[in-house]
Amino acid sequence: MKISINDLRFTYPAGVEALRGISLEINPGEQVAIVGQNGAGKTTLVRHFNGLLRPSSGSVWVGDWDTSKYSVAKLASRVGYVFQNPDEQLFSRDVLTEVAFGPKNLGYKKNKVDELVGCALALTELNDKTETNPYDLSPTWRKMVALASIIAMDTPIVIFDEPTTGQDAVNIARIANVIAEIKKEGKTVITITHDIDFCAENFERVIALSNGEVLLDGEAHDVLGREEILAKTYVDPPQLTRLGKALGLKETVINQEEFLNALK
Amino acid sequence: MRERLSFHIKRDSALHRLNPLTKLLLVLALILSAFLTPFYWTPHILAILVIPILSVIGRVGREYLSTAFRLILPAATFLFLMQAFFHPIGKEIIFAFYFLDMTLESLMFAFGNAMRIVVMVSAFTIFLLTTHPSELMSDLSRRGLPGQFAYVIISTLQILPQVQAKAQTIISAQRSRGLETEGGFFKRAGALIPLIGPLVFGSLVEVEERAIAIEARGFTSKHVKTSLHEIPDTPTDIFLRWFLTTLIAASIGLKLWLS
Ligand SMILES: Nc1ncnc2c1ncn2[C@@H]1O[C@H](COP(=O)(O)OP(=O)(O)OP(=O)(O)O)[C@@H](O)[C@H]1O
Ligand SMILES: [Mg+2]
Repeated sequence: MKISINDLRFTYPAGVEALRGISLEINPGEQVAIVGQNGAGKTTLVRHFNGLLRPSSGSVWVGDWDTSKYSVAKLASRVGYVFQNPDEQLFSRDVLTEVAFGPKNLGYKKNKVDELVGCALALTELNDKTETNPYDLSPTWRKMVALASIIAMDTPIVIFDEPTTGQDAVNIARIANVIAEIKKEGKTVITITHDIDFCAENFERVIALSNGEVLLDGEAHDVLGREEILAKTYVDPPQLTRLGKALGLKETVINQEEFLNALK
Repeated sequence: MRERLSFHIKRDSALHRLNPLTKLLLVLALILSAFLTPFYWTPHILAILVIPILSVIGRVGREYLSTAFRLILPAATFLFLMQAFFHPIGKEIIFAFYFLDMTLESLMFAFGNAMRIVVMVSAFTIFLLTTHPSELMSDLSRRGLPGQFAYVIISTLQILPQVQAKAQTIISAQRSRGLETEGGFFKRAGALIPLIGPLVFGSLVEVEERAIAIEARGFTSKHVKTSLHEIPDTPTDIFLRWFLTTLIAASIGLKLWLS
């Protein structure tokens, strides 16, 4: 399902102008990473995709729906949004109830709900924790519960807001695996991240935001090589990219594979 | 702009710049003179002239008016009607409605009382609009109010806005997962039931975390503490406080002398 953003502007009631005219198209099945300094407006932007925020001017379309005309609950059937902070997202007594909450609301049949919940739990490796209260889990597992509870909704578009922040290597690999799996199903994945290596390894398209405007937008390859421009939003290209440059490699490399190929 | 955690409106005005204690004394002086005065017209002058002028000086005229119309006037009107009809003084009935009689005396009495209430609530409203609660508390603790006391007051003042903010985030999370909360009243109330658990639980966790946080910064330390925020206390403040104390003393004195 396609997302179209037309000259989107948003000002918080407190007077902060967080988005200053953003126009983007995100095609079905794309894997998009959004990067940019703290306060660039990344969270504000994606909250428009599921209607939690409404444009001050301009518009956001999800498929054939103008988000300003549909309730958040309606949009939830098309856009799943994993919050930046799992503590703001989880509210149920146990993991199973938490994960089943979304698909139940979306009105799937009982056995479809069970199937979706089962898949989501398996994918996030939560099978042995279904009875636990999410608050008794460690922060890394709470994050997985947050992921599972959105994935179980089986929406064509899934948004992750900083999924890897504060996670150990094992869990980052787990999250990368989750993203790869839902990509296989042909879904659109939009991820906000400060983890530029994670971004280089898992995403095809990168959008860099700065002060509520799009600074760069394009293939990960092109965007991550633009060191000077990225510096404006305090993003460093991946280590390997910088190393490659320092070694005088002809092409920009962004991950291990490309680096090794270029050395051959 | 209205800050979420208090009534305070951040602006720059002569009233905002006054020391919180001075303002507190001003509130006290207004209330005492309205209640203790032997002159019938004092509360009226205060309510109709002095309070509006103060709200303009504090540049919170619009906010004050909105509170006045939504809260203070309806309450005062109710009080006025009750007393005007039911206070048993005077003989000459000037208005009757079935079994309800109003005499000139009861009318005057009720009007005076209603005005006193207006003065009292208005004075507090203007105080809250122009004083940040943490400024008030820092100033009072600097003058010797025990920290624990200040903590209790501040956290009580913030419970409601905090719970509100928390409920709001949980509601957002639930809507994002397809819970329709934009429907009718029952649907919305129903949606709130599953919130109670996380809300209470989250608040308890927060209380503990806050206790640890403030203790880590030496909350119960016996040493004299300095404050990061300088709260201005100017000669004007000191002069005003003398003046207001005199006014308060005069009100009390006059009352005692006349009775
Ligand atoms: N609820 C709010 N009320 C007022 N201003 C806000 C609110 N939320 C965010 N802002 C402001 O809007 C701007 C953009 O914030 P946003 O959260 O979208 O940034 P971000 O790119 O997600 O940053 P981070 O990387 O820190 O998550 C910032 O200046 C922020 O201070
Ligand atoms: Mg953010």
